[in-house]
Amino acid sequence: MDISFALTGKGYVIVAADTTAARSIIKMKVDEDKIKVISPHLLMAYSGEPGDTVQFAEYVERNLRLYQIRNTHPLRPSSAASWIRGALASSLRSRKPYSVNLLVGGYDTSTYTPHLYWIDYLGTMTSVPFAAHGYGSYFALSLLDRYHDPEASLEEGLATLRRCLDEVAKRLVVSPEKYKVRVVDKDGVREIEL
Amino acid sequence: MSIMEYNGGSVIAMVGKECVAIASDLRLGNQSLGISSHFQKIFPMSDRIYLGLPGLATDVTTLKEQFRLRLNMYTIKEEREIEPETFAHLVSSTLYERRFGPYFIEPVMAGLQKTPSGAYKPFIAATDLIGCLNFAKDFVVAGTASTKLFGVAEGLWEPDLEPEDLFETCAQTLLNAVDRDAYSGWGAEVYVVTKDKVIKRTLKGRMD
Amino acid sequence: MARRYDSRTTIFSPEGRLYQIEYAMEAISHAGTVLGVLAKDGVVIAAEKKVTGKLLDMSGAREGGYGGSGEKIFLLNSNVVAGVAGITADANSLINFARQAAQRHLLTYDEDIPVELLAQRLCDLKQGYTQYGGLRPFGVSLLYAGYDPHYHFQLYHSDPSGNYSGWKATCIGANNGTAQSLLKQEYKEDMSVEDAYNSGDEKLEFSTLTLGPNKQPKAKIYKPAEIDALLQKHGLGKKDEDAEMASA
Repeated sequence: MDISFALTGKGYVIVAADTTAARSIIKMKVDEDKIKVISPHLLMAYSGEPGDTVQFAEYVERNLRLYQIRNTHPLRPSSAASWIRGALASSLRSRKPYSVNLLVGGYDTSTYTPHLYWIDYLGTMTSVPFAAHGYGSYFALSLLDRYHDPEASLEEGLATLRRCLDEVAKRLVVSPEKYKVRVVDKDGVREIEL
Repeated sequence: MSIMEYNGGSVIAMVGKECVAIASDLRLGNQSLGISSHFQKIFPMSDRIYLGLPGLATDVTTLKEQFRLRLNMYTIKEEREIEPETFAHLVSSTLYERRFGPYFIEPVMAGLQKTPSGAYKPFIAATDLIGCLNFAKDFVVAGTASTKLFGVAEGLWEPDLEPEDLFETCAQTLLNAVDRDAYSGWGAEVYVVTKDKVIKRTLKGRMD
Repeated sequence: MARRYDSRTTIFSPEGRLYQIEYAMEAISHAGTVLGVLAKDGVVIAAEKKVTGKLLDMSGAREGGYGGSGEKIFLLNSNVVAGVAGITADANSLINFARQAAQRHLLTYDEDIPVELLAQRLCDLKQGYTQYGGLRPFGVSLLYAGYDPHYHFQLYHSDPSGNYSGWKATCIGANNGTAQSLLKQEYKEDMSVEDAYNSGDEKLEFSTLTLGPNKQPKAKIYKPAEIDALLQKHGLGKKDEDAEMASA
């Protein structure tokens, strides 16, 4: 039931995820943060099987932090995403695979470019200008096809995101009420109140 | 639902006169939902060998990376690039290693093989998901549109096509076959390998 | 008495020294000279080949291929070349280890290994032989010339103890003291690869690491004919001996 969106623009990536933690038909919590800040310029929105999600996100967080401590510089977004993909791909053929879907957004400080990766629990990874997971994807992807602009300013990007959230609110039976929105750009990660 | 059709995608390779062509679509989907229209399935393995990997997308990436590692070690130790036929057997044994828990990929490869006289001979091959090799003399197909590709290729292909004609034949075969397949399409790319150059063209296709 | 502390690599002498490591370093200072220079648009490594007999069959040395690793200069990864000084057999084993480490990194992170990380990997291995029982340390020093997006062009040196350090220009092997002080005089900040081509004798191996037109690192290990041409161009070649080289 989790819904997450992400889109790139001129020098930034916006990542948004709903804040509901549900169990069966019950909302247990409405302020759950499902976006992890992995390193100064890297964000990861996670969704999927409850339990696996947090467990896997923390596993990723610790391992990438360890790399940064050992090597003084953090992994670049493309390399971090590849590592995460590898972790999911090898988990897929293990006794108990993680079922976690991810949107990894980051800003590469060595090439000054924003990057967004769509990753699913099978370890499928692709670099995309915009992406979504969950029921939101059926509504948002077609909107983003129409309105996304890779050269858009942050305000324009947020307006496009707004369209997606509004559409989900309007058409999805079980739409969430709140989202957490984070942006990563050359200055690092920050949270945005919509 | 078959796992081979989960992400969609198709590849075809054809033999021409002293040249080969290999082409694929660019779609990545989750069953009927399209995720990306820039998902490459063909990878250069050397200056004159290209490998297409249609099937489950996670295994596309895994195998691409694994072949890159194995080829880099081969090239650096042998101090020469691998020959297509040798490479075909590398592909086959890599897949058969996972006989009882396979990668869900049916590779297609195309390249130019060096003959003892120093000339180049066209080479194409394909395997099933556990590495059973099929060396064809005309064309090989794989992926969710493979049945349609067979049909169109059977009608369009002829022996000894020049590079430009082979490009047109290969491109039209792919484009028209994927239009009849819901899981393939969203653009295509075609490589034509000749003895002195490789032509790569990215094609637009129907976006439905 | 001193002998008592010589035989084991892992045992300190009363003065706090590890003799075997020092001997290994001594062995290297008799090997052919290898020098490296960092320039603003690339890195250069040159190696002196120790005189090999006329009867040595060199027909195995290939033309073309993967840039053709030489006797003393090797391609470790698409973004790193290394020059080695010391026991060749030990070097071969280290080179193989480095190539595998680089490929392992490429597989897990889908990026070329950062140069310093590769030097670290080798040094972890080398350090192990100064601590764990019974085995001889690697009698090899290496120069690494490489490129990565984090620190761009880099030049590192590592020795048998497992120490490594970054340099603007440095030298290992025979006469490294003399060469080092020459480099100190000659080195200029932000010189180009063209300036960094160094003088040497005719038994030379040569390589450069620069950025190609696609902004990707490009390693080049020169073939004998190319080295002759290069030396001619910079007015360092000796005509007579070139003819002799060509016939050999």
